Amino acid sequence: MLRLGNPRRRISIGLIGMTFVLSILAGRLVQLQGLDSKVYEARAAQQRVQPEVLPARRGSITDVNGHELAVTVEAREVSADPALISAEKRAQVAATLAKELGRPQEQIAAKLAMTGTRYQLIAKDVDPVVAERVLDHEFPGVTSKPQYRRLYPGDDLAGSLIGFVGFDGDGLAGLERKYDKVLAGRDGKQSIEIGRDGKRIPMTRDTRQAPVPGREVRLTIDRDIQWAAQRAIAQEVAKTGARSGSAIVMDVRTGHILAMANAPELNLNAWQEAAPEDRINRAAAEVFEPGSTNKVITAAAALEAGAVTPGTVFRVKDNIRCADQVLRDAHPHEPENLTFSGIVATSSNVGTIMAAQKVGDEKLYNMLKAFGFGSKPGSGLETEEAGLLPSWSQWSGSQSCTVAYGQGVSVTALQMASVYQTIANGGVRVAPQIVAGVADEETKKIVPSPPGKRTRVISATTAKQIAGMLEAAVGAEGTGNLAAIEGYRVAGKTGTAMRYDEKCQGYCGYTATFVGFTPADAPRLVALAVIQDPQKGHYGGQIAAPVFRDVMTFALKSRKIPPTGTTPPPVRIRAGE
Amino acid sequence: MSAARAAYRERGGTWRRPFALRVVDRLKRPDWVLYGCAAALTLTGLLLIWSATRPGLIQQGGDPSWFLRRQGIAAGIGVALMVLIARSDLRILRAYVPMLYVVALLGLAVVLSPLGSTVNGSKSWIVLGGGVQFQPSEFAKLALVLGVAVPLGELRDGERRPGVGALLLALVLAALPALLILAEPDLGTALVFVAMTAGMVLVSGVRKVWLGALAAAGVGVAALAWFLGLIRPYQLQRLLVLADPDADPLGAGYNAAQAKIAIGSGGFSGQGLFRGGQTAGEFVPEQHSDFIFTVAGEELGFVGAGAILVVMLALLWRGLRIAARSVTPYGTVIAAGTVCWLAFQTFVNVGMTLGIMPIIGVPLPFLSYGGSATISGLVAVGLLQAVHRQVGRGMP
Repeated sequence: MLRLGNPRRRISIGLIGMTFVLSILAGRLVQLQGLDSKVYEARAAQQRVQPEVLPARRGSITDVNGHELAVTVEAREVSADPALISAEKRAQVAATLAKELGRPQEQIAAKLAMTGTRYQLIAKDVDPVVAERVLDHEFPGVTSKPQYRRLYPGDDLAGSLIGFVGFDGDGLAGLERKYDKVLAGRDGKQSIEIGRDGKRIPMTRDTRQAPVPGREVRLTIDRDIQWAAQRAIAQEVAKTGARSGSAIVMDVRTGHILAMANAPELNLNAWQEAAPEDRINRAAAEVFEPGSTNKVITAAAALEAGAVTPGTVFRVKDNIRCADQVLRDAHPHEPENLTFSGIVATSSNVGTIMAAQKVGDEKLYNMLKAFGFGSKPGSGLETEEAGLLPSWSQWSGSQSCTVAYGQGVSVTALQMASVYQTIANGGVRVAPQIVAGVADEETKKIVPSPPGKRTRVISATTAKQIAGMLEAAVGAEGTGNLAAIEGYRVAGKTGTAMRYDEKCQGYCGYTATFVGFTPADAPRLVALAVIQDPQKGHYGGQIAAPVFRDVMTFALKSRKIPPTGTTPPPVRIRAGE
Repeated sequence: MSAARAAYRERGGTWRRPFALRVVDRLKRPDWVLYGCAAALTLTGLLLIWSATRPGLIQQGGDPSWFLRRQGIAAGIGVALMVLIARSDLRILRAYVPMLYVVALLGLAVVLSPLGSTVNGSKSWIVLGGGVQFQPSEFAKLALVLGVAVPLGELRDGERRPGVGALLLALVLAALPALLILAEPDLGTALVFVAMTAGMVLVSGVRKVWLGALAAAGVGVAALAWFLGLIRPYQLQRLLVLADPDADPLGAGYNAAQAKIAIGSGGFSGQGLFRGGQTAGEFVPEQHSDFIFTVAGEELGFVGAGAILVVMLALLWRGLRIAARSVTPYGTVIAAGTVCWLAFQTFVNVGMTLGIMPIIGVPLPFLSYGGSATISGLVAVGLLQAVHRQVGRGMP
């Protein structure tokens, strides 16, 4: 065997040599696939995998009957990859695209000629049907991708309440913002793999995570009542030259807000053009001193404390000294004997202060707090404000008198509406509610929101007694007789407050309010109208009461609430001299 | 030996081994490990080629198994020829060697004539029409092994090692086809020829003095080629790119960079057969032929690629073993030449896909797509088996 020199040895050396070379190769494999594999994997993915977001369709915001107030429509974005369209076919592709999309051919041809790029936007907001037709031509490199647009069919209907979304579809204001998570859904993901030739690799593990569409948010708002409220308050604001105004309609038993209108109102389809202060939902966010509408709370405190009865007679002058100030009634008058009911019905400041002094600051404060002053109503609106209720121990000498008739304390329109809902509902406050329910992710059926929190604030008796006084206030001798509705028993209260204005660093102008409920003996609806800084006329009974009347009349009809057909009991306003 | 058999012999009868034992003898004859390795590599190659070509074919709307089928047919022909050669007597094969050698030279000459076709810058194909084409240089490897082995392995009486005359004849026999291939130009295959010849000379027992002289001459030729500018710019470029593969990732370094990405992203256990994204996206050019190892790297990972190397080493080891055990110097030289051929191609090919060797177009034996290479590779296994067979036969 050793004839050929020493072939065996040479072969052994050969084997050792081969093993050595192969070890080097194996070592290199360890380096590439073991030590550096993450780097190469990343490079491979970067080269090949194109991640894409599949936007989720945003849920609709609907009114209580399912009418769409905010809706997302699908549009398509048609784009092209010029690198994949050959020069010979360019003209033909451009001509076809121009015809289908209705855009100038030269412009498309110019885009297709930019062969150095891989992406050219041909058209946005394309109807999906048209986009499908474009894709049917199967031009290489021409693709379409879904795009969503948020539309508000009502333009400014409940505008600042609903709010709006930004360019990226995120809720920026109002309910769009507050319920953004629910409405937005979850975007899907898709990663497609692109080969060296720029085409999609067939049969690759393209991951696709389908988007979860956003859920419908159904409001307690009734589109028709909302529209009526919005029109009425807008007209009155225009007529009186007021700065702004709000109107609210609530269901007495459920606390559901049926309408929440502001003037001026925000046009959601052009929200960018609106001034920032017009984008906020004033009815829930604007704080003002309520004035005489607040007297019902003083009355409640007095009645609950047993300090007065509706028939208790007061000798009421037209002014009263309170600490360092002399406070007056709205109109000068000779001293007169008014029942407590009469004080409320005629809205006597002096009488109310006299009743309040019988109760004391602490009890009055507690009653204000119980009615929700100083705390957010819990309606589900993000922008709702708590108002301003300083603790009784910090009240100045005159403040303990002014609070009794609604100055020196601040609330929102929504808070005041809630006060009257409580009285109308036999003394039980139901937290106001704006969202009736949210659609279930699977069944798409609306899952009703849990009912608003119920709290007894005053006894049923007290509530009934106050309702009677409020009915008198709308009567012939009351301040709110313009709020009367033919055939219905209406209870309500006017308010004409001095309005604090930051610009003049003090009280300039007025806040005119009317708030009430109908039918007075079996209340179903609460309505409130507030007008800020009116220039022509300023009494709540003059300018706010008619708005209440119009809105309430429409709401009663719309909700098919019949008159109770009863006669109001006589209320003694004045006692004999 | 059983008592019955002894008695039978005593009676003067010729004992014939029972049928079952004869079957066992027959089964023992070939080197099954060698066959097993070749079969495993060829089948793996078929799968990898399928995986490498399927997505592209699907995208073009073609038959997804077009390459697979062609390679399958080539492997079938290769296996048939392999078994045929494996079962032949080396002495009979020896009779055909001059004719085979001349035919191979003619084939290489035809390639250079207007009848040859150019693929990838090299004139190395003869197109027969009907989708059939072949690469004479692949078959020339066989002719070279058998041809060069004649002067080196057939020693005159009394000689213990080839003389100077035999060595020079061997070098001439090797140089002729090598030069024709270099003219195509196909540097890779020419280098395979050099490696084969070197291996055969080394094993033939030539004096160390001559080995030294040959090595010096080789270095001299390389230097001459360098100074005479015979090395083409693209070949130089490839060498430079090896030094810094990221210098020009979209140009000359593209292949190397992409091969590394594909192999590296395979990680330890690979993306799975048919599931390699880089493979499916065809980022590595020639991934079904010269760069098939990148497919193994990405889809089968370190486990698979390492296994391929191990099986390849086992195959080479069996070949060396056969060379060592051959009872004739001729057989030893043939086996050594064959092993050098397969080993050199494996090292260069895998080395280039791993980015540690210049990109020289040689296929990975048994795995790369290509009918001629597949057939010649399997025939080479047949040759090794033929050498092995004479061992079993106890031939002189």
